[in-house]
Amino acid sequence: MKIVIVDYGMGNIKSISSTLIYLGVSDVILSSKYEELAQADKIILPGVGSFSQAMKQIVLNKIDLTLADLVMNKKKPLLGICLGMQLLGMSSTEDGFSKGLCFIDGVVTLFENPKLDLKIPHVGFNQVNPDANSLLYKNITGTPDFYFTHSYKMLSTASISASMCTYGEKFVASFEVDNIAGVQFHPELSQNNGLKLLQNFIDRF
Amino acid sequence: MLRKRIIFSLIYSQSFFTQSRNFRLQKVGNLQWLEKNYKFQDIAFSLDELVVIDASKGKKSISEFANMISQLVNDVFIPICAGGGIKSMSDAELLFKNGADKIIMNTSIYENAALVKELIQRYGSQSIVASVDYKRLNNKKEVYISDGTRKINLNLEEYLAYIESLNVGEIYLNSIDKDGTGFGYDFDSIREVSASLSKPLIIAGGAGNEKHLIEGLSIQGVSAVATANLFNFIGDGLPNARKTIIDSGQNIADWSKYY
Amino acid sequence: MSITNKIFWCKNCLNMSTRPRISFDEKGWCNACQWMEEKKTFDFSKRQEELKTLLEKYRSKNGSFDCIVPVSGGKDGSYVAYNLKHKYKMNPLAVTIRPALSLEIGDKNLLNFINSGYDHIHITPNPKVLNRLNKYGFIEKGFPYYGWLIAIHTAVIKTASSFGIPLLFYGEDGEIEYGGSTESKNKALYNIDYMRKVYLEGGHEKVYQRILLDKDIAENELAFFKFPEPNQIAENELSFTHWSYFEPWDSYRNYVTAKEHCGLIEKEEGHVDTFTNFSQNDQALYALHAYMMYLKFGFGRATQDAGIEIRRGAMTRDQALNLVKMYDNAYPHHLIDTYLAYYEMTRDEFDAVLDFYANKDLFEKVDGVWQPKFIPGEDYYI
Repeated sequence: MKIVIVDYGMGNIKSISSTLIYLGVSDVILSSKYEELAQADKIILPGVGSFSQAMKQIVLNKIDLTLADLVMNKKKPLLGICLGMQLLGMSSTEDGFSKGLCFIDGVVTLFENPKLDLKIPHVGFNQVNPDANSLLYKNITGTPDFYFTHSYKMLSTASISASMCTYGEKFVASFEVDNIAGVQFHPELSQNNGLKLLQNFIDRF
Repeated sequence: MLRKRIIFSLIYSQSFFTQSRNFRLQKVGNLQWLEKNYKFQDIAFSLDELVVIDASKGKKSISEFANMISQLVNDVFIPICAGGGIKSMSDAELLFKNGADKIIMNTSIYENAALVKELIQRYGSQSIVASVDYKRLNNKKEVYISDGTRKINLNLEEYLAYIESLNVGEIYLNSIDKDGTGFGYDFDSIREVSASLSKPLIIAGGAGNEKHLIEGLSIQGVSAVATANLFNFIGDGLPNARKTIIDSGQNIADWSKYY
Repeated sequence: MSITNKIFWCKNCLNMSTRPRISFDEKGWCNACQWMEEKKTFDFSKRQEELKTLLEKYRSKNGSFDCIVPVSGGKDGSYVAYNLKHKYKMNPLAVTIRPALSLEIGDKNLLNFINSGYDHIHITPNPKVLNRLNKYGFIEKGFPYYGWLIAIHTAVIKTASSFGIPLLFYGEDGEIEYGGSTESKNKALYNIDYMRKVYLEGGHEKVYQRILLDKDIAENELAFFKFPEPNQIAENELSFTHWSYFEPWDSYRNYVTAKEHCGLIEKEEGHVDTFTNFSQNDQALYALHAYMMYLKFGFGRATQDAGIEIRRGAMTRDQALNLVKMYDNAYPHHLIDTYLAYYEMTRDEFDAVLDFYANKDLFEKVDGVWQPKFIPGEDYYI
């Protein structure tokens, strides 16, 4: 099993790669090159930082084109994590308005805080309501806790098999559309729940 | 519903993990000692997060520290927050590269607002935790930087307001008076400042047993409780504490259910 | 066929039933914990008055020293000296009996204490005589620094007599504060009989006579190790008291005061046999003393320190158990050569003494090292 983590200069690569290795993935590499991503069995799009900054890097390195081909055309399984999940959407208002990769229909905006009683960012473990059709949560029962750390969240009106979480409002904690999955939380920092979810991505996508 | 968190803080100084008492450090053991007596791979299930602080007095070696972090994070699947002595973008980069999920800064928050802004822009505000050390004198709360050695001109309330304006992710508030005493957090000060904060608040300094952790978690404005007490929580101390805390009804994730 | 005896631990702290002179109540609490509980509501005002009366009685009216405080440079003596001088405005003379094998940090702490502003006398009993007494104490009583234990009473008394200072303030009565005989609980003053019987465990005479059998040490070389005759005490009106009688004893508070006002520093690297680093830093023989205590009774330095932490509310009994299991069983490997050189003994002779004192009901030898047969905290039947 070869998993390639997309390298665009942003993302906590070490945590993700050591978790994948722990789960027994034999080949984990970091790359932004088309050739290497093309050889991957699965791709992970990580992300830490600002949406607009990330998109700049991605476009600069032509990663948007690479992923559009490999993921949308050639249907390679892709898991976006945290900012990586948000980048798969249509747009975000973080740092001004930025267009995303537009792989799925979802829009990213700041958490609503009308009564100013929410602490932003949303940091810590929170429960996710797994969608009935989800593959990511197979064998994870109940409303499992995962680690979130973000100020911006995704909403979607489309049918993307979204599993929701609530923080002031309901927002997309994860989605799955064919070969593309995205998780707002960090499975590599979510104890056993996260390990099981990553295993599901490895086994079922 | 967002859970509250139980955090363990490791106070590191020149290759050793230490027990801090009012910021006087006692060397306790190195990474091998820690692994033997704390078995982080096992007790990580009693924790929500790890904070590792380089509190070495004098010159800190960020490369040695980063190296230690990279060994510590193996097989530990919770967020790691690392820091102490971060003075530049490359310092921060090194820690992130070696496994830190967040960084914690103290002196630089006060002295280098430009660096803080740049870090937030590059890594996102949620990646930066501002650490604040303070002492209580009569009814005033005085803020100290540089591992508790230099007093600054702002009192705690003023300084916290400034930090919030920088838009860091979280605040780690540490009482120098209570540090290592095992007597419990400085609840008076915490209650005085927590209500007005808009950033998540982690409290530290003085926790000796689960009763203190429970009392801390019960305060509405507190998002997480941290302890750096290596001795009090050694062995089965943390798993037992977590079980008691959950049984008492606190909103903490129950990892035992998912083994 | 021996009578079944139960070894048990205090239900509140981890004091063992094997501790000499200790007593327990029906709750299973040792007398130290009972006293800790009592102290929470105890009215010390009467004792404070007693203290004031005592101080007024002896307060110097002509600038001479009016009280003696034995100190080692550590937290407890420093705390007492500090209070006598600055809070009660007495004129204390601090006295140190130089131990054998003093540690660098101990010397530094003593100097820091003195430099923070105290009149001080440093007494050095003849090291050769001290050595011999220590050695016999080690062999005959299992007390590695018995000579020094004698001298901190006898030589201090001699100093008090010589200077004409009638009032002596020792720190705490360990029997009351840490577990042991409660006979002195309600007495402000104690006497030489108590010292001989309790602190020196009745061994003074034995060791003293033993050393006289050595032809190379004359009786007049033991001047610092002799207790005064009863009539001599009456003459000088010597009053011995413990500070812990007059106010709640809190050794951590003492540490904080000593740190702040007397320049006390801690041992950065900590110790192998306990989790604290701020007490008992003055002499190398203490580690052996603690280890002997462990072999004789089943508890070591960590258990004692844990008891203090538990009683001051900084740790729970369960937490302490982990530390006791980690630290108590600490053969002082790193100091063996020092001890052998000091006592002029071979390794075999030294180990033979340890073997003699090890409580065979509690310990068994595994690969040449004594290992506990019991599990700390769990009732053990012998």
